[in-house]
Amino acid sequence: MKRLVETVLFWIVVGLIWEFGVRWSGTPDYVLPALSQVFEAGWQMRAQLLSDTLATAWEVLAGFALALAGGLLIGLLASMSSIARRTLYPLVTALQSMPKIALAPLLIVWFGYGFASKLAAAVLFAFFPIVIATMGGLAGVPRNLDEHFRALGASPAKTFWYLRLPAALPSLVDGLKIATPLAVIGAIVGEFIGSEAGLGHLIVFATSNAQTSLSFAAILMVTVLAMLFYWAVDLVSRGVWWRGVTV
Amino acid sequence: MAHANILLSALPGSEAITPVHPTKCDATPRAMISAEKVGKRFGSRGSADAFCALKDVSMQIRQSEFVSILGPSGCGKSTLLRMVAGLVPCDDGRILVGREPVVAPVPEIGVVFQTSNLLPWLTVGANIRLGAKMRKMPRAQIDARLPGLLDTLGLTQFADRYPHELSGGMRQRAAIGQILLLEPNVMLMDEPFGALDALTRDRLNVELLRIWQHSTLTVLLVTHSIHEAVFLSDRVLVMSERPGRVLHDVQIDLPRPRQPDEIKSDPRYGEYVSDLSRMMGVF
Repeated sequence: MKRLVETVLFWIVVGLIWEFGVRWSGTPDYVLPALSQVFEAGWQMRAQLLSDTLATAWEVLAGFALALAGGLLIGLLASMSSIARRTLYPLVTALQSMPKIALAPLLIVWFGYGFASKLAAAVLFAFFPIVIATMGGLAGVPRNLDEHFRALGASPAKTFWYLRLPAALPSLVDGLKIATPLAVIGAIVGEFIGSEAGLGHLIVFATSNAQTSLSFAAILMVTVLAMLFYWAVDLVSRGVWWRGVTV
Repeated sequence: MAHANILLSALPGSEAITPVHPTKCDATPRAMISAEKVGKRFGSRGSADAFCALKDVSMQIRQSEFVSILGPSGCGKSTLLRMVAGLVPCDDGRILVGREPVVAPVPEIGVVFQTSNLLPWLTVGANIRLGAKMRKMPRAQIDARLPGLLDTLGLTQFADRYPHELSGGMRQRAAIGQILLLEPNVMLMDEPFGALDALTRDRLNVELLRIWQHSTLTVLLVTHSIHEAVFLSDRVLVMSERPGRVLHDVQIDLPRPRQPDEIKSDPRYGEYVSDLSRMMGVF
């Protein structure tokens, strides 16, 4: 309770500094609007803001889900076969080194202005941390436990379900935490390049019309969206409590 | 060779129960484990880091016998144990368990390692069941045996705890419980008490002996501790420095059942300890 009060007080102070800092310094509102102006602009355009938030949220969630499915699949393949590991791992590393933002204009060419290109961008950004985390987690199973399961004559399938998967989960949820904000970034980048909806679209639209307050309102919504999403993933990851527990 | 009921009846303080093998030392002549001129090399032949870990190791272990292997660090005693377990292949010679050569892990054998190898995400009870589950033991059979086993090991109140909530000694008990639930004919132990404090170690030695005494289990134990080897074993095999060979085969003629205070005040106990120390080159 005390901690909650402290947190709330902190944010109120930050908000007040923003509000009065802008007013007293006489900063023009097209450069940095006061917080109250941001809320006002957001409220006036609330229908637009809400529909754009939902559009972006959908892109982020779908992109994250696809990246998770694909990342797990590739990570599993790489951990199961040495050929897959020798071929896929260098490929994944090379692709990860590539600045994914450079691909964004091409995604518009390939997938159009609509939902599909934003989905592709979110997947592209979120995919690699998940693959790497899956591979790392599955490869990092302690040798003594591997040997123990071998001595028990456990089948590969049972060894996977009872040992390898749970042992990989801490690493995997770390990867998910990294991938979460990246999925948001991917969706916004996709919307920046070319789109008809979404918070990224709203930011570009508002800024080019000198509606800086609305632009800030959209940025706040992106932030809230990303935070909520991160909290949800964090909540799930707390189920994996055995990180770093050695017995 | 079902010793389940006998094993589970080995409750604390049950000295009144007649041991299955009152004369274990001169039990059946049939060899349970036999190693015939076993050799093991590591590294590819001719390469700079290649070395011979074991050379011409031969040993015979009878059914229900308790045998310890003593040897200096790096003499290959753990490797030998892993070869008996079917975890490491032989390069020369062969190892028989029963009548079959060992080429892979077999259900007759259970292995207890120095690390308890419990899974942190499972409760102690679930961990003990895990081995039996991996070996496809029917659930009803596991359910029937578990309570008695937990009782024998003094783990009943800890069954729903997680391994990290337990002391090292308790964890090692659980590890032994996991293997006992499998009802193996042979239990291989690789320095199972090596990481424990002296008091816990002594206590677990007594418990291990009690469980073994009331079963037909054959135990092959790798240890660093001369005292532990003498206290527990029917026979102690002393291995040489690398490449490991069996240098001495010492019969321990101390009465059973053994109690620590009685045994340790027996003059022969001290003699065995000093003889083995000399063989090990301690002095």
